[in-house]
Amino acid sequence: MTFILELEHVVKRFGGLVATNDMTFAVYKGESLGLIGPNGAGKTTIFSLIMGEHKVDSGSIRLHGEELTGLPTHKRIRRGIARTYQVPRPFADMDVLANIEVGLMPDSLIEMLVSPFDHAEGRAIARSVGLAEADLHRDPAELSMGDLRKLELARTLATRPEVMLLDEVFAGLTSGEIAQISGLLKEKRQDGLTYVIVSHDLRSLEPLIDRAIAMTQGTFVCAGSYQEVMNDKAVRMAYLGH
Amino acid sequence: MTSTINWRHLLLWAVFLGGLALMPQFVTRGTLRTFIFANYLAIFAMSWDVLSGRTGYVSFGHPFLIGIGAYTSAILSYRFHVPVGWSIPIAVATTMIGGTLFFLPALRIRGSYFALVTLAFMELMYQLVQVIRPDLTGGTRGISGVQTLLRGAVNNYYLSLGLMGVIAILLWSMMRTRLGTALSAIGMNEEAVEGSGLNTTKLKLFAFMVGAAVAGIGGAFYVHYLGSIAPRALFDVNFLFTIIVAALLGGASTIIGPMLGAFFLTFLLEYLRPLLPGAERYFIYGLIALLLYMYEPRGLYELFHRGRARIFGGRA
Repeated sequence: MTFILELEHVVKRFGGLVATNDMTFAVYKGESLGLIGPNGAGKTTIFSLIMGEHKVDSGSIRLHGEELTGLPTHKRIRRGIARTYQVPRPFADMDVLANIEVGLMPDSLIEMLVSPFDHAEGRAIARSVGLAEADLHRDPAELSMGDLRKLELARTLATRPEVMLLDEVFAGLTSGEIAQISGLLKEKRQDGLTYVIVSHDLRSLEPLIDRAIAMTQGTFVCAGSYQEVMNDKAVRMAYLGH
Repeated sequence: MTSTINWRHLLLWAVFLGGLALMPQFVTRGTLRTFIFANYLAIFAMSWDVLSGRTGYVSFGHPFLIGIGAYTSAILSYRFHVPVGWSIPIAVATTMIGGTLFFLPALRIRGSYFALVTLAFMELMYQLVQVIRPDLTGGTRGISGVQTLLRGAVNNYYLSLGLMGVIAILLWSMMRTRLGTALSAIGMNEEAVEGSGLNTTKLKLFAFMVGAAVAGIGGAFYVHYLGSIAPRALFDVNFLFTIIVAALLGGASTIIGPMLGAFFLTFLLEYLRPLLPGAERYFIYGLIALLLYMYEPRGLYELFHRGRARIFGGRA
């Protein structure tokens, strides 16, 4: 098995706060990795560092062995990595299909000017995440939280990532919606997608992941199967205080 | 947002521009001159809207760009006797290059900081044209006797109308492409556009250069209509706000909106003139703009759109 994404001795400080403290881990191609830890553990910061939304103070982040740390966010996405956000961030004045089509756009001014909108591809991606045809011309404000999450997933999938970073995709969803999104992630994985997922909903996370990494206060605690990590003393201390 | 060009859009444009083309048959020469100003104001408002209306980067330095275009063409033709056929394209290129050199660093900052930096550019230009090479710029008195392109209100009206129409149709066509959608998306959520794999700096720079080119064209043609240029008239806060209010009042992030806003404002100010000959007129238009903006932030275009939906049915 080969690594697709590697973090090595990554450090990020915000003033006096060490948000990411010498984090090292790797993600195998085709793997589904859970990143777990209590609030403030630094999980979302890791995602922001991988995407280049925050600059690392030191350390290395590689995709397919190529260094990402000097690249702006849009170039990292073109290399094959993308993320979703805890709070979905749709383009409010665009309908659902147009939102997805932004993710399909080429990063070339000429192509953007001359190539037509790819409605068929946009529709196919919408269908693949379970958005109904009737939703395509609705505004994001008219969608439920579950459909907003699907829209976020669809726009991210439209960038054709090999690795997806999923940040709290179950937050605010009903149990039915959680089951839908989980089913969707399983399908995408069968299609070859690698993902790293952060969620406070550990029960929903368990069946989705091959492996988990626990962290607290920006520091690596342990790694292993879900059960191994949850039975780890340090993890129990961080979560339960005993 | 998904774009399909249909005959109704083209028909509406034809009716709108055709109606304006018939105007000289029905109005006096004085009113026609007001229309000429409205046409140029529409060009300036559309050019402001390309960057600021679409992407949300509100520029207070637009007269700076118009000034580069106007002064370059005026100086070349008046001082160096360069034919207007050359001075105008050179002025447009100078506006794009000069504007980019100043604005490029500013495009990395956002919100009120961007607005303040661009306002400083306008003030800088106002001071510079008075003290640097006044033998060229005419200093505080500016330049008069600049060659005019055409004589008479009717000819100048058609020139300004044609210019406005061509610019409007070109911008409208551009905004209906994926690029137009991406620019509008920046205005809604720039991080999400970057997160969709698009280089937002490149997109903003392109929007800025298109806006600068249109401002340069407008500035250069306007100075050859007026036949004179003076720094106090051009780098004036009232002129700046007239451009911005025209775009916002009509409907930012659209093409027809800034045009509607320009016509509405120009005629409002003109009809208020006999009642309030001084600067008090600006209070009235400010009040109207404020009320409209509070009631419908998307402007006159949205009101028109909703009215049409109410009459003919369909989605507003």
